[in-house]
Amino acid sequence: MNRFFLGLAAVLLVSGLGVVAFSQRPWLPLENVEQPVPFSHRVHAGVNKIPCQYCHEYARRSRTSGVPPVQRCVGCHGSAVSGGLLPITRPWADHGHPSFEIRWNRVYTLPDFVKFTHRPHINAGLACQTCHGPVETMDRLVPVYEINMGFCLDCHNKRGATQDCEVCHH
Amino acid sequence: MAEGLSRRSFIKLAATASVAALPGCEPAARKLIPYVVPDDNVIPGVPAFYATVCAECSAGCGVVARVREGRVVKLEGNPVDPISQGALCARGQAALQGLYNPDRLGAPMLRRKDGTLEAVSWDKALGLLDERLQAAAKKGANRVAYFGSRQGPTLDKLARLWLSAWGSNRLIAYEALNDEAERAAAKACFGRTDLPVYRIDQAEALVSFGADFLETWGSPVEYARQYAAFRAPRPLHGGTVVGRSAYVGPRLSMTAAKCDQWVAARPGTEGLVALGVLNVLVNQGWLPHDSGVDLEALRGLVGMYTPAAIAGRCGVEAKAIVRLGELFGQAHSAVALAGTDDPTAHIGALILNTVTGNLGRTVVFTDAGPPPPPTTGRAEVEAQVAAMKAAEVDVVVVAGANPIYAMPASAGVAEALARVPLVVWMGQVPDETAAYAGLLLPIDHPLESWHDVMPRAGNYGLGQPVMQRVFPTMALGDLLIRSARAGGLGPKELPWQDASQAVAASWQELRARYQPSQSADDFWTSVRRHGGLFLQPGTAGVKLDPAVLKTAPNLPEPAELVLAAFAHPFFFDGRGADKPWLQEIPEPVTQVVWNSWAEIHPETARQLGLTGRASQLWLSAEVDVLEIASSQGRVELPVYIAQTVRPGVIAAPLGQGHSAYGRYARGRGANLFQLLPAGALSVAVKARPTGKKQRLVSPLGKSEMMGRALVEAISVEELARGVAPRPEAPEAPEPHEFYAPFKYPVHQWGMTIDVNACTGCSACVAACYAENNVPVVGEEGVERGRIMSWIRIERFFPAQEKAGHAPLLYLMPMLCQQCDHAPCEPVCPVFAAVHTEEGLNGQIYNRCVGTRYCENNCPYKVRRFNWFAPQWPAPLDLQLNPDVTVRGAGVMEKCTFCFQRIRHAEITAKLENRPVRDGEIVPACAQSCPSKAISFGDMNEPQSAMMRRRADHRLRNYAALAELNTRPAITYLRAVYHGKGKA
Repeated sequence: MNRFFLGLAAVLLVSGLGVVAFSQRPWLPLENVEQPVPFSHRVHAGVNKIPCQYCHEYARRSRTSGVPPVQRCVGCHGSAVSGGLLPITRPWADHGHPSFEIRWNRVYTLPDFVKFTHRPHINAGLACQTCHGPVETMDRLVPVYEINMGFCLDCHNKRGATQDCEVCHH
Repeated sequence: MAEGLSRRSFIKLAATASVAALPGCEPAARKLIPYVVPDDNVIPGVPAFYATVCAECSAGCGVVARVREGRVVKLEGNPVDPISQGALCARGQAALQGLYNPDRLGAPMLRRKDGTLEAVSWDKALGLLDERLQAAAKKGANRVAYFGSRQGPTLDKLARLWLSAWGSNRLIAYEALNDEAERAAAKACFGRTDLPVYRIDQAEALVSFGADFLETWGSPVEYARQYAAFRAPRPLHGGTVVGRSAYVGPRLSMTAAKCDQWVAARPGTEGLVALGVLNVLVNQGWLPHDSGVDLEALRGLVGMYTPAAIAGRCGVEAKAIVRLGELFGQAHSAVALAGTDDPTAHIGALILNTVTGNLGRTVVFTDAGPPPPPTTGRAEVEAQVAAMKAAEVDVVVVAGANPIYAMPASAGVAEALARVPLVVWMGQVPDETAAYAGLLLPIDHPLESWHDVMPRAGNYGLGQPVMQRVFPTMALGDLLIRSARAGGLGPKELPWQDASQAVAASWQELRARYQPSQSADDFWTSVRRHGGLFLQPGTAGVKLDPAVLKTAPNLPEPAELVLAAFAHPFFFDGRGADKPWLQEIPEPVTQVVWNSWAEIHPETARQLGLTGRASQLWLSAEVDVLEIASSQGRVELPVYIAQTVRPGVIAAPLGQGHSAYGRYARGRGANLFQLLPAGALSVAVKARPTGKKQRLVSPLGKSEMMGRALVEAISVEELARGVAPRPEAPEAPEPHEFYAPFKYPVHQWGMTIDVNACTGCSACVAACYAENNVPVVGEEGVERGRIMSWIRIERFFPAQEKAGHAPLLYLMPMLCQQCDHAPCEPVCPVFAAVHTEEGLNGQIYNRCVGTRYCENNCPYKVRRFNWFAPQWPAPLDLQLNPDVTVRGAGVMEKCTFCFQRIRHAEITAKLENRPVRDGEIVPACAQSCPSKAISFGDMNEPQSAMMRRRADHRLRNYAALAELNTRPAITYLRAVYHGKGKA
């Protein structure tokens, strides 16, 4: 009898671990992501009204929206010639990397088996906020929506977009 | 590639990209690293394309590299290049695995006294090299040698300059499989130093004297394309004409299998057969009188070689030789090819082409200026090796050649290199010769460096780096320039800083010669964009040297048992063996993977005391091991008994049997070069069974179709009469539709595959591996039936009773048929196998739980299951296509007509507010196909090229296993054969 319960316990433990592991869903947006630079979307997109795609310039052309190159930051924040980087108040932590390389921490990510592409969504006129929430009000970027398949399909349903599984999973 | 990309800050979105490298359920990379300064040429997520050239063989095909986030993920043929015309063979595709090979040397290595290797810095290595070179040069002239291979005009020039800097002229351009015999023949017959260009598509008859022109001979991609046109039914002379072809040689190679006749002559007697054919032509009076050849002299040359006289010596029936004569003499235009090591065969073929008036039509010498330089002749190589053995050389640089592997022990390369105080090996994956080197220097892969090729006169291919270095390697050209500088060459003799400048300077010379009106910049941009300079040369008038008709041919004596070695279609002379894709793609005729074998006739097997039953490799078989000994050495090989080789011959592929050359090549099969005398491909041998057993592994089971119609064929006569052949398959039952039919309002994707055009070359298979992240499972995996290829070449022998009324071999690409009534879909308990809105049988990897019901229910065996998480040892994983999911363990996977490409085109079309254009979507297999056997398109669109191809060949349409009523989206076109009777 003891052995039976031991076995049962083992099975339960293993399946429990499996459930826990699966419920982690490591590709969901992360809540508490600190960045190496105290960058504020509120200041940039909200106060200064910089269009999203000024920095995330690949969104309409590519799968990924892109993270702005450091050159884009420097373009506004001055340059070495004009007297250094102006309002960036704190240097980024990672100094072991090539000069001026910034290692941002991801907030949004998708698993390999989801082939989301920004290009058709942006070109269909969707606002970035539809999925990313009111980014222009956030100092630190936090996810508003849990981006999962239900979230995608809700919208695809409403708008009559494709519901073919293979379109995202291939 | 623009200098900008290669030299500026390298792509930093590696984190984004590496997401793709992780199996589905692992956490994705959590860092985003943007460029500091962005590159205008790179949009992350959007591929960039660079034109370059393939360096895998001397055909020099133009290539377009698809580069994602700074790393090349796929090679495709360059449509502008006249040789490849957009296609690329399996070897070319697999160049990627040479680039990303995990066994590439990662740092300069110095051999310690105890023989072990020690990594040293580049400065130290180059310093040591220069020091030793200086010492050598001080001792006198010609104390330094360069042991290279065919490497393109600019590198040749640099190697020469480098040697001159060290006071030497010992330059060896060594190729184990070279065109020496062919060049000698062209020289003897026409006084030409170049080789003719063949136009098989202009011919109506073809005889190949041992030339495997669809696999390894000459320019296989080009010839496969031409041969497909040759074999396509064409309206000509008021009827339907399908080119007739014959192959003369001891083994039914893939090329032979695609011919109408296989004349199984003894190895080495192909030339004699050619003389016999000439004899028939002369005696029958089938020769035109305006060919400019002295027919009396020809009669004098070939008079004694009547078919009856030579039949015994060649080991073929006299009738067969007469038939060859008829085939050649009665055709309006014909072409003879020769591909053996024997100059007589080449001379015979050239005379055949000349006397039948085909010179200038199907065989053309061009007037395009200087031909590519020849490889170093055998005598010269032997002299250089002798000099090394005599301690006349102090430093040898081995770059690109592997003489220890490819030359017989009797050539004495090992002793010679042992006598040289410093052997410097330069290359990628350390090979057998590297084991003899004191200094090993890692060199850029051709895809990482500037180079050029010149496959033939007037055809210049420019190789540009398509990505940054994978390892801390150095370009061979840069190294030579730097070392030559140290040797005292000043800016006058050596005006370039590095190889890129040297290449650019060579190309400006070409501009001055051929396009002087163009500005230097425009020209440079243009050749980089197009991948080279392709002139359209005219035909040179040549005349057969009458002396050749007076020279009695030197004919070898046939031996009792002969080893006929042949270049493996994927490993060629061994250089492909380090690439796992090439190891895992089955050789088309035997379907053997990961090994080499001795192919013998059942009769020969009995004579050797083995069973006379043909080998049936049902995934694997324990077979006898044969010991084969020649005057040069001995090897042991597993036996493959089949009727694909004539009696008295052991046919075996070159390319395996490496003792080094990386984890994928080492310790597989045997190295046949150990048996062959230098420069020969056949040799008299003795063989005996060892009593040992070994496994031969093949993914294919039965060699016959067992009465089912997977591959179908139609005879030319039936085609001309307009009747479809009687179906082989059981009658299809009247279909009862249980479910409502699917509706495809927008597209219904489909394919048309011309089995007649398919040569079995497996370029599609390699392309699919590359495009779709298909894992390699290794020999044991294949043995367990776990091969993962989504597309394969089906190979069947015709049933006994059909012999003569069927092609010699059935070869056909098999991939997911995207059935309308898919047996796989209703059995999936979790709806992972789904029917898409566009008619594909989708497979949703993240939903799949691995029941494998779908695989069981698939009649075509095209679904593949991941028994383990696939492995790509770094940096092979850098090749993975980020647009395709990397499947994890326990997941079923399959072909979806390259859905990522379909989707990309659909999105683009939608954004441009237009329908998808016909031809806009090209799946990887169709893209790579040299003979353009595969077309893809919309079945809803009757005017699409794919549907028109069906309509144009209505009589040849069939569906694989139609009786199952699966209603595939692939329509095959029957193979065409010439029925027996009228040969």
